[in-house]
Amino acid sequence: MAEPIIQIKDVKKRFGRVEALRGVSLDVGEGEVIVVVGPSGSGKTTLLRCINRLEEYEEGTIIVDGMTLDNTSNINAIRCEVGMVFQSFNLFAHLTALQNLMLAQRTVRKRSREEAERIARALLAKVGIPEKSEAHPAQLSGGQQQRVAIARAMAMNPKIMLFDEPTSALDPEMIKEVLDVMTSLAKEGMTMVVVSHEMGFARAAADRVIFMDEGLIVEQATPHDFFENPKEERTHLFLSKILHL
Amino acid sequence: MDEQKKNAPRRGLSFVVGGEVSLRQDAWWWLVVAIAAIIGLLVILWPVPFRDIVLFARDGILVTILVTVASYVLIIIVGLLGGLGRISKNKLIFGISSLYVEVVRGIPLLVQLIAWYFVSPVIIQKLGLWLNSQALIEYRVNPVVTAIVAITVCYGAYMSEIVRSGIQSVPKGQMEAARSLGMTHFQAMRHVVLPQAFRVILPPMGNEFIALLKDSSLVSVVAVADLTRRGREFMAAHFNPIETWLMVALLYLIMTIVAARVVSYIEKRSKYERY
Repeated sequence: MAEPIIQIKDVKKRFGRVEALRGVSLDVGEGEVIVVVGPSGSGKTTLLRCINRLEEYEEGTIIVDGMTLDNTSNINAIRCEVGMVFQSFNLFAHLTALQNLMLAQRTVRKRSREEAERIARALLAKVGIPEKSEAHPAQLSGGQQQRVAIARAMAMNPKIMLFDEPTSALDPEMIKEVLDVMTSLAKEGMTMVVVSHEMGFARAAADRVIFMDEGLIVEQATPHDFFENPKEERTHLFLSKILHL
Repeated sequence: MDEQKKNAPRRGLSFVVGGEVSLRQDAWWWLVVAIAAIIGLLVILWPVPFRDIVLFARDGILVTILVTVASYVLIIIVGLLGGLGRISKNKLIFGISSLYVEVVRGIPLLVQLIAWYFVSPVIIQKLGLWLNSQALIEYRVNPVVTAIVAITVCYGAYMSEIVRSGIQSVPKGQMEAARSLGMTHFQAMRHVVLPQAFRVILPPMGNEFIALLKDSSLVSVVAVADLTRRGREFMAAHFNPIETWLMVALLYLIMTIVAARVVSYIEKRSKYERY
């Protein structure tokens, strides 16, 4: 494989006295789909947020698409290439779905109104809700909001997509529609890092599953090996709890 | 709202969303009509003194409106800067804006007005002597400008706190989402956070306008010929305090309730469904 598109080397991060990341290293290849699992407080969300520098870290280096994150001057350039999808959607509440998709295209990518609107409408169609372009976020269901949020990130043509527990805030019957969008993205070859408890998605779409606990990567393996044949005792314990075995 | 407008991406602080609100649906407009009718009746039935009071004070009404509107525009600018300063991570900017807010809020507006009126020309003239500038030495205080400055400084502090609370009411995720799309802090503030904060602070901003309209009567003590001062002059000339202050009060009342209706109209127009 060529140069990894994300290189994380020995990253450490603390919140006051709590060590959220205690030296995490991870390489993500282009087109790879990584699912990060682990108990709450294990540092998986923090790791994800470090990749586009929503969190700063004290030690280590992260290189995204050849750009080192320690240098804050290029942070907006990096963020253009890294789409982020949040647990709580975070759609711009005062804008319609279409405007949500157009705003950053216009202000950051400097696209013309016509071009931004064309891209936005195409993406809304792709995530299956072209008819909701004029709706405000509060008029959409959770699943629809999250699909708009994915489309909003995609509108910037990112090379990498980060998903922070994208289905945790959804009603059960809406989870599938969001996972379907994510699965089709994965099939198109998008590089994805997904923090999620959706084991079905991990099995179906992940190239690698990573298990984190207490700020460290405990185990990483292919989905098959991870679920059928975990090596570490802690992984075993975690899986036995979440899979209700 | 026509389709064209609906589809256009909204920019900056424009805020018109959704439902139409008819003026006629707002029952409080009848109060405006009632007050206007009372004023009209008084003027028609007893032209002396009521029509005379209105004619005598009409330039005062204009001064009151001028001082109020001019100050309000400046107050919004000061409030925006002060509010952004109060949430700044830069310690110096935060410190300066906090000191400004705390000091100014602790001094009565009347005292501030008098201080600006009497102290600022002395300082400017001293400065002129020091700089050897003839223009500054010959500086004479302009009551209206000084009053507008004093009111702006005072109300700007209150407005800063309103703006700060509005910005802080916007969920943190909105800023994070905007930044994660590659927008700069300024772009995220301008296009995402401030438009939402603005809707939240519209009611207190409206209150400030109405309070300002009434407090503008304080400028009458620093030689500004506003409605209140013109009322006092009329009373002094004609010795009819009851009629004079009845009419002055009615004139203030009609201005404030019209302002209140306009504020509530803007509020209704700018409502949108929140999470």
